[in-house]
Amino acid sequence: MRKKGYRYFVIIVILFVGVHLVQVQIDYRKKLENLESALLLMPGQMAGSLVLGGFKGLAADLLWLQMETLWHSGQHYKILPLLEAIAWLQPSYILVWTIGGWHMAYNIYAAVKTEEEKQYWYDQGIKFLKKGISYPFNANKYDIYFELGWTYYHKGKDYPNAVKYFEKATKYPHPDYVDDVLAHAYEKNGEIEKAIKQWEFVRDNYTAFFDIATRMINDLKTKGKATP
Amino acid sequence: MKKMWLIGLNTFRESMRKKTLYIILIFALIVIGASKLFSFLTAEEELKMIKDVSFSAIEFFGALMAIFGSLYAISTEIERRTIYTLLTKPIRRSDFVLGKFFGVSMIVLINFILMTVFFIGLLFFKKSPPDLQVFKTLLLIFFELMLISGITLALGTFTSDAFNIICSFFLYIVGHLTSYGKELVERTENIIVRGLTDMLYTLVPNYENFNIRDKIVVGLNVSWGYVGWTILYGILYLCIALYIALYFFEKREI
Amino acid sequence: MAIIETRDLTKHYFLGKKKTVIGLEKVNLQVNQGEIFGILGPNGSGKTTCLKLLLGILFPTAGEAYIMGKNPHDINMKQHVGFLPENPYYYDYLTGPELLRFYASLFSLETQTTNARIEQLLELVELHNAKKLHLRHYSKGMLERIGLAASLINDPEILILDEPTTGLDPIGCRDTRNLLLQLKQQGKTILLSSHFLSEVERVCDRIAIFHRGNLLALGTLDGLNKQYQATNLEDLFVKTISSFDNQEAAKTGDVT
Repeated sequence: MRKKGYRYFVIIVILFVGVHLVQVQIDYRKKLENLESALLLMPGQMAGSLVLGGFKGLAADLLWLQMETLWHSGQHYKILPLLEAIAWLQPSYILVWTIGGWHMAYNIYAAVKTEEEKQYWYDQGIKFLKKGISYPFNANKYDIYFELGWTYYHKGKDYPNAVKYFEKATKYPHPDYVDDVLAHAYEKNGEIEKAIKQWEFVRDNYTAFFDIATRMINDLKTKGKATP
Repeated sequence: MKKMWLIGLNTFRESMRKKTLYIILIFALIVIGASKLFSFLTAEEELKMIKDVSFSAIEFFGALMAIFGSLYAISTEIERRTIYTLLTKPIRRSDFVLGKFFGVSMIVLINFILMTVFFIGLLFFKKSPPDLQVFKTLLLIFFELMLISGITLALGTFTSDAFNIICSFFLYIVGHLTSYGKELVERTENIIVRGLTDMLYTLVPNYENFNIRDKIVVGLNVSWGYVGWTILYGILYLCIALYIALYFFEKREI
Repeated sequence: MAIIETRDLTKHYFLGKKKTVIGLEKVNLQVNQGEIFGILGPNGSGKTTCLKLLLGILFPTAGEAYIMGKNPHDINMKQHVGFLPENPYYYDYLTGPELLRFYASLFSLETQTTNARIEQLLELVELHNAKKLHLRHYSKGMLERIGLAASLINDPEILILDEPTTGLDPIGCRDTRNLLLQLKQQGKTILLSSHFLSEVERVCDRIAIFHRGNLLALGTLDGLNKQYQATNLEDLFVKTISSFDNQEAAKTGDVT
């Protein structure tokens, strides 16, 4: 009996060595595919992750619902900490960043009275969006770049920065209108040559934009100005 | 081999007649309730939340079923003394243990399939047919549930029911957290601490490996390579659990 | 020839540090083919322990046990053994025939044989009218009877019964008794444990009296009565047990 127990033990140790080797492989792949828990990127907040265990997604959803309720009841100034918390729970949830940025730079911006405050919330929105991009798994998607570019372009009239982020957005798989706004941004930024080139690209690639692109190119070449 | 099946089928049949599957109704209510709750959101937000809730509920109810199913599989046989009638038949003790595992696996599987079908139906209803990533998530959840059953069954061969329940739930929680702990400890330079945690990291079943749902719901992709290695992990660890179960049950006096 | 045999069979239960309880102490038994052998003893005397050791449910601390010359873990041997545990409950959600079919399948019996035997056994234990009833609705006596049927499903050579008449009414007891005698006539060997002396007296060819894990007396009823100068089984039972207790008390210096 004792001899047999020894044999069991050896086999279990061997199996555990196997388990260990597989775990090493899994850990390696987690790094490779950005599957590590994003919470680890923020040291000091470990306690929260301990409490939530495997159900972070649900926690994020609850906060999101709360945020929507607050928003619809006009308590916009209360949603900021909620956005921060959701972003911390699920930083790979793109919508948190884009909607959060939009809330700050547009909705709260519109709700506050003084110029000072408006400037503050515009900056906050930009900061929030940039933080979203700082996560590697968000950095290879067009969404936040586009939102950032749009905020610069439309709200801030900061065309150099708008061009910079629209250009980045077009590097990743994106819908057709991204190319369209990039062309507008080039023009506003005074880069007429680039704008024409971009419109030509739009004209040749997206049938839906054919008419407008043709008109824009014509206007740019004749009047040097196309965007109203 | 055949007798293992017979015992498994008997376990399964009894459980079906006990109507354990009514737990599915709770699942359905939660998911339907959640989808009603989310309906004021945009479609994209709503879908993400429905997936979150459904995956979490499938995992949670599956884990409950796996733990309690495995717990009662052996302990009721002992309590009701039916085990005497089985072990005095021409079957091996290993047939009994593995048969019980298969029986519980079948219960967990049926439970899992019903929840999954409901969930997928809901996705179609919301005009968003599931993609491959959704199936990868479900596949890993299922293997996690198998591993949970195996571990509870193994604990049941040498501990009391109360201790087993506490242990199983404890492992479930810790198994989801060890990867965080490891990250923390990797910064220390104390060799003994490092060695101990490395060992613990290997010994405790790493359930967090199977958790890709938080990534899938927000649109990240997970490769088949990752899924494959994780399934291999599950199978290897399950072998260990069943092997331990066999070892202790072979010697057990009832 | 002894079909069941134990050699110095000993079982100690360990209850933590240096604390042991004697379940069975050096018991030597032989049960011959074709006889009804009764194990008698007060509660906790080691009857069930002895049966469990014979069936391989427990492992002996020392000594050996053999059934048909095989050790208790031999699977082929179990093909020929039927066992009825004490106060069985069985699977609540099965019907009688389903229970029997399940056990039959564990013996790898053929379907035809199984069907025939199930009919025959249900008839025998008078449960053929309760075929559709789940076992959880059975009375205690019905459970005892379905248990008896279950222990006979493989047409065993050796039948081991632990307290077969506990839940039965007088008529049930009589029926069981008749059944055992009938089985004996078919050449089966029956080993039963009981603390109902009158039961044992009427059916057993030979008896063994257990007390505190020790085998006190073994033989035919007449032989033992003569040996201990007892008038009947009850007298014999009381005499053997009190003489053992007195000896033990003398050894430890206790006077009661």
